[in-house]
Amino acid sequence: MGEPSKPPLMRLSNVSKAFGQVKALVDVSLDLRAGEVVGLLGDNGAGKSTLIKILSGNYHADEGSFEYQGRPVTINRPADAQALGIATVYQDLALVETRSVAHNIYLGREPRRFGYFMDRRKMERDANVMLEDLNISLASQKTDVELLSGGQRQAVALSRAIAMGGNILLLDEPTAALGVEQTQQVHHLITSMRRQDKAVVVITHDLSDILDITDRIAVLRQGKLWAYAPSSETTTNQIIGWITGVAPPHIRNGAGEMNNGSAQ
Amino acid sequence: MISALKRQDNWTLIGLFITLLMLIALFSWQSEFFFTTRNFINIGQAISIRGLIAIGLTVVMIAGGLDLSMAAVAAVAGMVTASLITLEVNSVLVGVLGIAAAGVLGSFNALLIVKFRINPIIATLGTLLFYRGLAFVSTGGDNIVIGVNAWSELGRGSWLGAPITVWLFLAVVVMGMCFMRFTVAGNHLYAIGGNSEACRNVGIRVDRLRGWTYVAQACLAGLAGLMLTSQSGTALPSALNGAELDIIAAVLLGGIALSGGRGGLLGTLLGLLIIGVVQNGLILLQVQIYWQSVVRGAILIIAVTLDSLRRGGGYR
Repeated sequence: MGEPSKPPLMRLSNVSKAFGQVKALVDVSLDLRAGEVVGLLGDNGAGKSTLIKILSGNYHADEGSFEYQGRPVTINRPADAQALGIATVYQDLALVETRSVAHNIYLGREPRRFGYFMDRRKMERDANVMLEDLNISLASQKTDVELLSGGQRQAVALSRAIAMGGNILLLDEPTAALGVEQTQQVHHLITSMRRQDKAVVVITHDLSDILDITDRIAVLRQGKLWAYAPSSETTTNQIIGWITGVAPPHIRNGAGEMNNGSAQ
Repeated sequence: MISALKRQDNWTLIGLFITLLMLIALFSWQSEFFFTTRNFINIGQAISIRGLIAIGLTVVMIAGGLDLSMAAVAAVAGMVTASLITLEVNSVLVGVLGIAAAGVLGSFNALLIVKFRINPIIATLGTLLFYRGLAFVSTGGDNIVIGVNAWSELGRGSWLGAPITVWLFLAVVVMGMCFMRFTVAGNHLYAIGGNSEACRNVGIRVDRLRGWTYVAQACLAGLAGLMLTSQSGTALPSALNGAELDIIAAVLLGGIALSGGRGGLLGTLLGLLIIGVVQNGLILLQVQIYWQSVVRGAILIIAVTLDSLRRGGGYR
């Protein structure tokens, strides 16, 4: 999907992070491309959260470098990540249940009139456009979030991440608490992110549909990038093998050899 | 329209409005004196001073806080005002200083709550005792009599047939409604009451906004203290003693949640009107005065029980 000739939206090279004696991440290199969904997998403690927190500026990498659209950048603070358009959607979503969908999307960035007044109409119109672009159907963007299903809430949280200027979206277990149908909704949502040319990283434990919704699979094991491969060339059994370490490391189409990749 | 009906707050308002109409119908049927302009002015007069405090409390509670000290703040402001009047300070300056004194007390509440992170119930219970004590200590428990002078016009005068206190109260209600509905800050206060962590995450200055609600609340309480002093010609250190709970009851009746984020000033206005109408009606029907408290308590319990049942229970 992504154009292999263009530089990736975000490139991580040889990122390492240790907490005292514990090596949480060792030499991880990864490309995130516009219009691509990467599934980030691994057992508990494999380093998924550490990687996400480094990308979102909450942790500082001990070693390694970052490139944004081919240009070297540093991510030392959450504000740095935000400036690069990196947005994280955490599991608890951080929505205000008693407020409308539109207000949640633009919370803290409400369109204003005369400096102090909220331009509710513009906010609702913008929210509508945004939800339509993402193919999200809600009864109304005026509905309070407390009346929404889990899948719809995920959609609102994602819309906010995009409204905040997110181009690189990090989704932390987006389907963890959801039923089958709502999981489907979130998968549709992730697919529409891809159409919007966002780079998406999905952390998940749910292997059932992961190959259908992702373009690449990255498996972390004991802090190392154990496997990195196009989803189209991967099976669920292989993934389980990588996660558990039964299968040997397998890096295909990684940062070092990006030009051989036939992105589906 | 459907989404408007789904909003739980709107049902609360409709319920309150119907209750108010039924009460008015009941008392009008039972007493020939009830449905008269004169009596409605009485009701307005009776609720407007406490109403000023209730407006401030509503805003504080929407942002997820609580203030128990507001009646004591009003008493202190009344004492400060009366002392300054006896010293023959310029009238306008007296008003400004009286409200400023209240604002200082409100800032102290804010400091305890947003800086030292003390639970608002505990912090303002402490300042309730502290401020009330100050009001008594200032004169050794004596009242300050200011009599009838230029100041009395504020509390006793009327304009276009209605008392100035009522106009002032209505003006504050309308301004408060506009603020909470149309400004970014007002909408942020709702969001803070709903989920303060989420607001912090997106960069809203939660502590600063919350702090201001306590200052604004205290200033409104100060204004109420001024009006009361002007109306009675006397500043009492015991002014509005015990009114805290009545005011909180009116606000809760109006659909404001203790947990914050819900309700609005229209609800508080309806809550105040219902309590005012009941109080007035019972007097006209010559019901023994002690029944007042029983009936008010019953209304509050019924209202919040219905609300809780409809929402599927809020307290866990």
